[in-house]
Amino acid sequence: MKKKMCLALYSGSIDKLTAAGIILSGAAADDMEVDIYVLLQAARAFRKDVGDNPEKLNMAENSEMKVEFLESLKKLNVKTWVEFFAEAKEVADVKIHVCGLAGKIWGGEVIEDFVTLADDIVGITAYIEATQEADVNLFI
Amino acid sequence: MTTEELNALEVDKVVDARGTSCPGPLMEAKKAIGIIKEGQIMELLSADEATKVDVPKWCKKQGHEYLGTIDESGFFKIYLKKQ
Repeated sequence: MKKKMCLALYSGSIDKLTAAGIILSGAAADDMEVDIYVLLQAARAFRKDVGDNPEKLNMAENSEMKVEFLESLKKLNVKTWVEFFAEAKEVADVKIHVCGLAGKIWGGEVIEDFVTLADDIVGITAYIEATQEADVNLFI
Repeated sequence: MTTEELNALEVDKVVDARGTSCPGPLMEAKKAIGIIKEGQIMELLSADEATKVDVPKWCKKQGHEYLGTIDESGFFKIYLKKQ
């Protein structure tokens, strides 16, 4: 039976989203089933008009490091956070659920308002159930 | 396996992940393992130091056979057999 990971993705910062993408890649390579719950600020990052646009995302802290961070990622040929998430979905059972309230806070009412990676819009019960079933729970 | 034995292997699939950083090489290996058949051998090229640690661990967890690594100049050749 495959191990399950439940990732509560709260942050909408470009560095934490990148970290989440890297962890997600490791879990996907290990064939884990992953459920991602996109909460509050992360829901803004998942909005179709934000997504991969670094101009619309900030660092979690030390905002003056953003340019250095992005330049280093480019130099090292590291994928964007959206590309990490897309690749993980390609190789493993990864589902991305957007919190209904979080979506509304940032003007997203229906799943089409978010990047195509997002699978559905859910409520808190789905997240709690996933945490109870998961072998690994993360909050980023 | 010794370096001589690794060099003598008949490789079925070469995956060149030298242009990527962690977790790039691991993900390239993950994709390629889905393509090759059981018993076939993959040669993974990586210039990322972490791959030398990651791939043997990943093989153990996934049930594939890690055969060994050759240190080349500026990159590694990592060999594994799909089980």
